[in-house]
Amino acid sequence: MVAPGALWLGFWVALPVVATFILSMTDYNVFNAPKFIGLDNYIHVWNDPVFHKATWNTVVYTFWTVPVSMAIAVVIAVALNQKLRAQSWYRAAFFLPQVTATVAIAMVWLWIYNPQQGLLNNALAIVGIPGHAWLESTDTALWAVSLVGVWQGIGMKMLIYIAALQNVDEALYEAASIDGASTVRKFWSITLPMLKPATFFVFVISIIGAFQVFDQVYVLTDGGPANSTTMMTYEVYRSAFQNFKMGLACAQSVFLFAFLLVMTVISRRMTKGDES
Amino acid sequence: MSAATAPAQTEKTTPVVMTKPRSKTRLTTSLTLNVVLILGSVLMVMPFVWMIVTSLKSPAELALADPTFFPSTWEWSNYPEAMKAAPFLLYFKNSFLIAIGHTAITLALGSMAGYSLARLPFRGREVIFMGFLAMLMIPTYTKIVPQFLLVKFMPLFGGNDIFGQGGSGWLNTWWALIIPGGLTASSVFLFRQFYTSLPKELEEAARLDGLNEFRIYLQIYTPLMKPALATVGLLTFQESWNNFLWPLLVTTSDSLRVIQVGLAVFRQLESTSWSFLMAGTTLATVPMVILFLFCQRYFVQGFANAGIK
Repeated sequence: MVAPGALWLGFWVALPVVATFILSMTDYNVFNAPKFIGLDNYIHVWNDPVFHKATWNTVVYTFWTVPVSMAIAVVIAVALNQKLRAQSWYRAAFFLPQVTATVAIAMVWLWIYNPQQGLLNNALAIVGIPGHAWLESTDTALWAVSLVGVWQGIGMKMLIYIAALQNVDEALYEAASIDGASTVRKFWSITLPMLKPATFFVFVISIIGAFQVFDQVYVLTDGGPANSTTMMTYEVYRSAFQNFKMGLACAQSVFLFAFLLVMTVISRRMTKGDES
Repeated sequence: MSAATAPAQTEKTTPVVMTKPRSKTRLTTSLTLNVVLILGSVLMVMPFVWMIVTSLKSPAELALADPTFFPSTWEWSNYPEAMKAAPFLLYFKNSFLIAIGHTAITLALGSMAGYSLARLPFRGREVIFMGFLAMLMIPTYTKIVPQFLLVKFMPLFGGNDIFGQGGSGWLNTWWALIIPGGLTASSVFLFRQFYTSLPKELEEAARLDGLNEFRIYLQIYTPLMKPALATVGLLTFQESWNNFLWPLLVTTSDSLRVIQVGLAVFRQLESTSWSFLMAGTTLATVPMVILFLFCQRYFVQGFANAGIK
């Protein structure tokens, strides 16, 4: 009974992964037969300033969105863990962006960032902050893209934290209350330490998700201005499907894969060291 | 990689600590909490509100130098107009069919694979399970180029000869939209977790009654898994509905466009009006929002199961 599923995934996942590694050592434009060129693609990627920029942007995006939305998520989760009347409504509100399509969401944000008619600049104008063409400036575009990532990413993390909080022993809080600990103190000394395993888990899956950011870049900035928001995934897409350099795209995706693998292994190590 | 470890989480109720509603501090705490949460939820929901109000404004109102928040006149006709400007209903239908297809394949093949990995002792099970685990770790972008090539060079389709040469293969066909993404390693994984958590006595009794393995799967265990089926089904449907990159790559004809790609293409048209675009975006968002609001329990369970150890 496992056979259909295993064959299906074998054909559409395992085989392509192997093919990626093989193709990454070829010069291939779909129309002519692939030509073996050894490690040339890797050398090219290694020295390519645009790919450096893309890597740097991906790292900046990841290390800005992941911790910020994790911090917000843990606070919201703790707040929602209290008995509140409108609890399920709040939870739905925070989780809503997670279930809606990134393309649709990015479209809305494109309109929010609109310099003249957009919600953001007009809201800022009310409090006297001058507006800005957020997506058109190399200084702000990456931050504008990241903000969308933070906004959309809270829900999932919050949910995992809520589930983890259900397993925290209520008696700990009671004991702390008897000792006269404040709410803030309880948060730092009980809640956060108890959430450590969940935090590591959220961290790993969030990094893996953030490294693969694509849809919002496609809609919001198209990688621009001046490559200031291009990402590793976006370069893979460009090489393969705009420039038809399939081999090069494969080499780039191997770099992406290697990055993620290293990140996962590091996180695993940290978790393991923590448990022992 | 989205799913991980450990048996399915059974629903746990937190022990409710009964405390008397006492003292001012308690009241202020709950008040602050509510204020923070209301502000937060408003920020989360605001873009959706902005989307809907924009979709109901006239183009003239959108061009005003001093923009309004709520429409001065509610232009409901924007929706039929937008559907005239681009075949949003067709895109909508395409997305729906694909999502249904993905969900059906996942429920059938995913549950079978998950069941075997959880309950059937067969040779090589560990190896196959490790294979599934490894596939969980593969980022989309590490397989997308060869997937595209497999589709393009699919033998005997779209004018291709037996070696996959000469035509366009599965490009611009329903096959390409439905088959490659029909099953994911993470759904198999989730199913395995769910099936593992069921008691062993049932299958022993069923075997004594002479049921074969397939019927034990179909008639004994799977009916017990309705919540799990709903969860995995909804997650699959959602992922499929929201997918963008793959349909963008394998379709160019308008008649096969899914709604997310349709939106992106519509935006690139020069004359795109923001009210029409937001009307289309609303159409692309609303099914998931409704599905989520009605099936919140399953979504929450699904994500929490995929999440927690």
